[in-house]
Amino acid sequence: MGTPLDGGSRVPIGCPAKLRRVTRKKVAPDLEGWLSLAKARYAMGAKSVGPLQYASHMEPQVCLHASEAQEGLQKFKVVRAGVHAPEEVGTREAGLRRRKGPTKTPEPESSEAPQDPLNWFGILVPHSLRQAQASFRDGLQLAADIASLQNRIDWGRSQLRGLQEKLKQLEPGAA
Amino acid sequence: MLEGAELYFNVDHGYLEGLVRGCKASLLTQQDYINLVQCETLEDLKIHLQTTDYGNFLANHTNPLTVSKIDTEMRKRLCGEFEYFRNHSLEPLSTFLTYMTCSYMIDNVILLMNGALQKKSVKEILGKCHPLGRFTEMEAVNIAETPSDLFNAILIETPLAPFFQDCMSENALDELNIELLRNKLYKSYLEAFYKFCKNHGDVTAEVMCPILEFEADRRAFIITLNSFGTELSKEDRETLYPTFGKLYPEGLRLLAQAEDFDQMKNVADHYGVYKPLLEAVGGSGGKTLEDVFYEREVQMNVLAFNRQFHYGVFYAYVKLKEQEIRNIVWIAECISQRHRTKINSYIPIL
Repeated sequence: MGTPLDGGSRVPIGCPAKLRRVTRKKVAPDLEGWLSLAKARYAMGAKSVGPLQYASHMEPQVCLHASEAQEGLQKFKVVRAGVHAPEEVGTREAGLRRRKGPTKTPEPESSEAPQDPLNWFGILVPHSLRQAQASFRDGLQLAADIASLQNRIDWGRSQLRGLQEKLKQLEPGAA
Repeated sequence: MLEGAELYFNVDHGYLEGLVRGCKASLLTQQDYINLVQCETLEDLKIHLQTTDYGNFLANHTNPLTVSKIDTEMRKRLCGEFEYFRNHSLEPLSTFLTYMTCSYMIDNVILLMNGALQKKSVKEILGKCHPLGRFTEMEAVNIAETPSDLFNAILIETPLAPFFQDCMSENALDELNIELLRNKLYKSYLEAFYKFCKNHGDVTAEVMCPILEFEADRRAFIITLNSFGTELSKEDRETLYPTFGKLYPEGLRLLAQAEDFDQMKNVADHYGVYKPLLEAVGGSGGKTLEDVFYEREVQMNVLAFNRQFHYGVFYAYVKLKEQEIRNIVWIAECISQRHRTKINSYIPIL
């Protein structure tokens, strides 16, 4: 979809349909993840899968990496913590989990692999807990894709509004 | 050959057996579960539970009602009933009931130790401990650094002391060692409980020994399945299997070498009881191994009530009540998450 103006400037608006599709895809793993956690509580005991099992301060396993794509837009990607090249710039949030208290940002060269969160609940965890982890991991990547698409659509909309304004000004007899 | 349990059992234990049979009759029926799965909110669930034997057990709770609160209150109620049985019991039933509480004590000890690793406050963890497993030395558990410290300083006066023989070591208590400690304690406990029931003889042994053998075999299968892909070695895995049950010794030796679910299924194929259970895993209903074992456990515990003059009815009642609590909590989770596809995956009891 585009709007020819001034010798053919075209504005790619983006794909709202793709956004809807990816958003719907994200909802499914989230729902499955929470249900799998409930299943794990069913198997292990209600108090065995809860806030008692993890510390208030934790190191993230994954980080959100922002890079500049075409047209100067920000594109988001989920990467394993500690894998960034030092010269990469962009928004660097300490994982997608928000926790209270100061969190040390590890130096990329010296960071160890963070402990698998599955071990917070014991070494012999049921399959449902592993399924929950896998579902939430899938959801994380989809969340990054949605954010990228959202950025693209917002940019496209602002471009379209600008072009529509120009068009109004150029229309003969508009005054 | 009758051993005379029917002649003298009621003298000491008749009242309590009558009581536990009355409690068993108040377990939720299929109609109750049909009403519960139709609830739209947790408040609806609470209203429907008021029409059952649970009554107003959630009356003191203010909004918002959560699944965790429902679970805590149901467990408190069960604990109240069990404490009544225990306070009115005479030997050897009292020892039998104490054995039943040891499994919850082990869970509480492990919860406290894990909490210490995560730097949680003792008060916070004590609030989440299972009420059936409370003992006075609980608050000191988190200061122990090795299993030997734990035993010598804290648990030596508790009913858990005899189960520590295979667990004494100077290894620091990290996640792997805590898991090994949990399973070894449980193994020792099950073996001691089994020996107690077997030595008691009579109808109690006839009812309880098969139930405990099933429990031992279940633990072996579950430990094996959950150990795939972890840092637990095959040798360590084998040390966690209880040394009794249908699988002991050949089945356990084969299970120790299994590397995936199919190999585990091949071991189960040698046992008429376990072959259909493992074949039922997966399938269209998406049943897990835990599900099929819970179903089998419910069948065995319901059958325990078909015989009189034995202590197994107390064990069976507590286990059936726990399954009922799991069912209600599962239904409550599905309602609160608005994910009703698998809301009927509970296990009916009556």
